[in-house]
Amino acid sequence: MPDAAIEDLGDSDLMRRAAHGDRDAFATLYRRHHARVYRFARLMTGCPNAAEDIVQEVFLVVMRDAGRYDPTRAALTSYLYGVARHQTRRRLARDRQFVGFETGASDVTEPVTEGDVTATLERRQTLQQLRRAILSLPRRYREVIVLCDLQDVSYSEASNALGCAIGTVRSRLHRARHLLTQKMGRAATSEEDHQRLTERCA
Amino acid sequence: MTPTQWDDTDLADALEALRRDEALVETPPQVETTVLAAWDRAHAPRIDTRPRTLWQRAGAIAASVIVAVSLGQLGRELQRTTQASAEPPRQSRTLLLVGEPILQGEPVRVVRMRVPASTLIGMGVRSAAGDQAGHVDVDVIVGEDGIARAIRVGM
Repeated sequence: MPDAAIEDLGDSDLMRRAAHGDRDAFATLYRRHHARVYRFARLMTGCPNAAEDIVQEVFLVVMRDAGRYDPTRAALTSYLYGVARHQTRRRLARDRQFVGFETGASDVTEPVTEGDVTATLERRQTLQQLRRAILSLPRRYREVIVLCDLQDVSYSEASNALGCAIGTVRSRLHRARHLLTQKMGRAATSEEDHQRLTERCA
Repeated sequence: MTPTQWDDTDLADALEALRRDEALVETPPQVETTVLAAWDRAHAPRIDTRPRTLWQRAGAIAASVIVAVSLGQLGRELQRTTQASAEPPRQSRTLLLVGEPILQGEPVRVVRMRVPASTLIGMGVRSAAGDQAGHVDVDVIVGEDGIARAIRVGM
């Protein structure tokens, strides 16, 4: 099948083809979904290397179990998030500690220009604090923040991926945002105290 | 951008900024290479082993046939040997045990050889069945390890 035609196929068709050993279908699935899996894993673990491993593990599972995927039960994205979540939990359980974002993790932001140096640096600092705050959340809260607020996943899809009711997703999200607000407030206060102390010492 | 007192709006703004920032993050290209290499590894053996399996099957069948035929021939030969030794000798023959005894059910081969009479004399056997050149026909019973078990000599 020509590349253009296979690109037009739906996820369930691609999964069926992959289950029958179609490499192009599998590669198309990978190219269509790897980014969301990687970003999810990266935000959940805080470690790009771990995220790479998780992407590999997720697609190895897809390769092995493509024939068992039932499109009537959940969209492929929910299925992939479910597998990624499982692999992330295994990885975190194995590592037993979070690894901080590497310094290059925020290099993807726009370069600092003359006019907005302070604003850009502040923005980067805020994002870094927010990443740390998200990583410090209990896993069940982190998952909903990452899925619903950072990956644009619907509550319905998130409930499928997490294996819980939509109401549970909503309540966890509410709680997670509340915790984040508190953590960011504390971080800002701490930063303000630090700046005040620095100015006084100077 | 960094408020000292955070509320829901501040958090929503920060999350939106982080979402935009994360949307620029790409999976390193080597991951795709690794994943597709894993696919190739998982699927290549199935293609490669299929003909090999067929050859292996054909080889196994051929080997089984050869072994069965050989065993049948050996069995018949052994049976003939046993029967021959059970029959009253048309000519006086001596059976010399020269090695390990023949075990029960051990496959053996009988090889007829022409040896100099002097060799037999060296073994302490004098045979009158030799030809004019002084050679004697003997039956050597060989075990499956290739070592002679007995020599039958016409006297």
